[in-house]
Amino acid sequence: MMPDSTGTIYDIGYRGYDGPRLGRRGAIGAIVSAGLRAVFGLGRSGRSKILPWGAVVLAVLPAGVAVAIRVLAGDLIDLYSYDNYLWGIGALMPIFIAAQAPELVVNDMRHRVLPLYFSRPISRLEYVAAKLAAMSLALLALTLLPVLLLFFGRVLAAEDALAAVGDEIGALPAIIGSGVLHAVVLASIGLAICSVAGRRAYAAGAVLAVFLVGGVMGGTFGSQGGGLEAIAPFVNPLAILDGAREWLFGGSVMESPVGAAGVPMYLYGLAVAVLIAVSWAVLAMRYRSVAT
Amino acid sequence: MPLITTRALTKRYAGNVTALDGLTVEIGEGVIGLVGANGAGKSTLIKILLGLLPATEGEARVLDLDAATQGSAIRELVGYMPEHDCLPPDVSATEFVSHMGRVSGLPAGAARERTADVLRHVGLYEERYRPIGGYSTGMKQRVKLAQALVHDPRLLLLDEPTNGLDPAGRDEMLALIERIGRDFGITVIIASHLLGEIERVATWLVAIDAGRLLRTAQLTDFTERTGQLLVETDEDATPLAQRLGERGIEAHADGRNMVVDIASAGDGEFTVYDAVRDESVALSLALIRIEHRRHQLEDLFRDA
Repeated sequence: MMPDSTGTIYDIGYRGYDGPRLGRRGAIGAIVSAGLRAVFGLGRSGRSKILPWGAVVLAVLPAGVAVAIRVLAGDLIDLYSYDNYLWGIGALMPIFIAAQAPELVVNDMRHRVLPLYFSRPISRLEYVAAKLAAMSLALLALTLLPVLLLFFGRVLAAEDALAAVGDEIGALPAIIGSGVLHAVVLASIGLAICSVAGRRAYAAGAVLAVFLVGGVMGGTFGSQGGGLEAIAPFVNPLAILDGAREWLFGGSVMESPVGAAGVPMYLYGLAVAVLIAVSWAVLAMRYRSVAT
Repeated sequence: MPLITTRALTKRYAGNVTALDGLTVEIGEGVIGLVGANGAGKSTLIKILLGLLPATEGEARVLDLDAATQGSAIRELVGYMPEHDCLPPDVSATEFVSHMGRVSGLPAGAARERTADVLRHVGLYEERYRPIGGYSTGMKQRVKLAQALVHDPRLLLLDEPTNGLDPAGRDEMLALIERIGRDFGITVIIASHLLGEIERVATWLVAIDAGRLLRTAQLTDFTERTGQLLVETDEDATPLAQRLGERGIEAHADGRNMVVDIASAGDGEFTVYDAVRDESVALSLALIRIEHRRHQLEDLFRDA
């Protein structure tokens, strides 16, 4: 039964609010945490948890296997190193972004929720930055968490854990740096693509297309020879990231087209800068054009 | 201390479209009706007040804050309900309103508590846990109002709040707005092109036209008696008006309606009543209605 709009239940009296107001910092924190919940399907149906959590499990699995092998068989084989891990699970990243990044930006745009955000303490750029932060943090579950697990697994599986810490600790800055680099760049590309797509399905398709086409073209160029292998890494965002990782932290990956390209490594740093600049420019322009 | 002050506020869009043209107005507490035809500059004014749109010239202050430079501080204390649809379909009203409360700066716990309170005030009960996509237009309007109220604003800006509602929904929304202004002590500005709605709930009226201030007035003054008597008869009232004129009473007939100037009789309103009665008896006219004519908001625009 619908109570009468002027019924007694209305007359509870209005209570004001005198507590603290957290302003734009609180607003940004709220958007980041709501974004993380959305990406991982928290507070949503079981179905929307399958993909993000499935991807995280698949990303972590090789680390678990590698550690298990190390425990059982010792140092005989090393399937995964800190250097090649992200390249090895690279295929998961476009899938994760395609499925979850539209969740963050498409609905607010399509259902015109943005004017409600903009009528609150934050600015447009702060809104975009909060969404970027949410997506980057979420991506760390793929780009940092598994490699950290590998790190701790190797330390704990060693006979002398304390000595192992000494051996492995040097790799930690590269692990963290590379994880953050991948997360931020992939989040920027993903959100930029989604922000110009009108619907979730288009956004997902566009993200997959960019990475798939990049991957296939990169593979083809790489096997063509005749100079094409030099540009092969630059049509694939994941290869650019691998090159930038190698440029910053060292350690080449056999399977990646970076080795065969033979171009100066700083070019990868430059390419990453271009990727970020273009993505952020697209985001800034897209959100500036939204009517209030 | 007025809540809103604008001084020579002008907004020109690219392509030389002038939305606001030197608007100077002071708005105090109460329920304020911001009336104007579509395109009169209501929405532009609201966006400037929220600090979302820079003015071309002039100044606007809201809650003693400068809209051009302190927009963020203003938006922390102001609630805004846009005219258009603005709700995501796949989350529940509870989840959405509480999220918007946090985006307004409330801590998580306070946002949850106030969401429960505010949704009850706007009249959403069990359905608040269901996804918004399945709501009726009336329920969606209530959610839109709730998200504007959740952070206990000092000022509420409502852009065409009854848009798309059926007559019953319209009445409920207006009753709610009146309650917010009167019982919650929150100043409400309703932008509307419907005078009838403003007349029902507003205590003050700000009328703008083509970006200029047309009139600002307290509505109680305004709907007071006009000193005119409205008479409706069952046949043409022209002969009646003529006979009253012969008695020195100013009367104008318009079909079966007649407007009589009470003051023109000189010796009190009862003389006028008697004269109307006697002359209609003499003419065998049946009187259908006699009443004091009150100002209506339309008069504002007629005089201007």
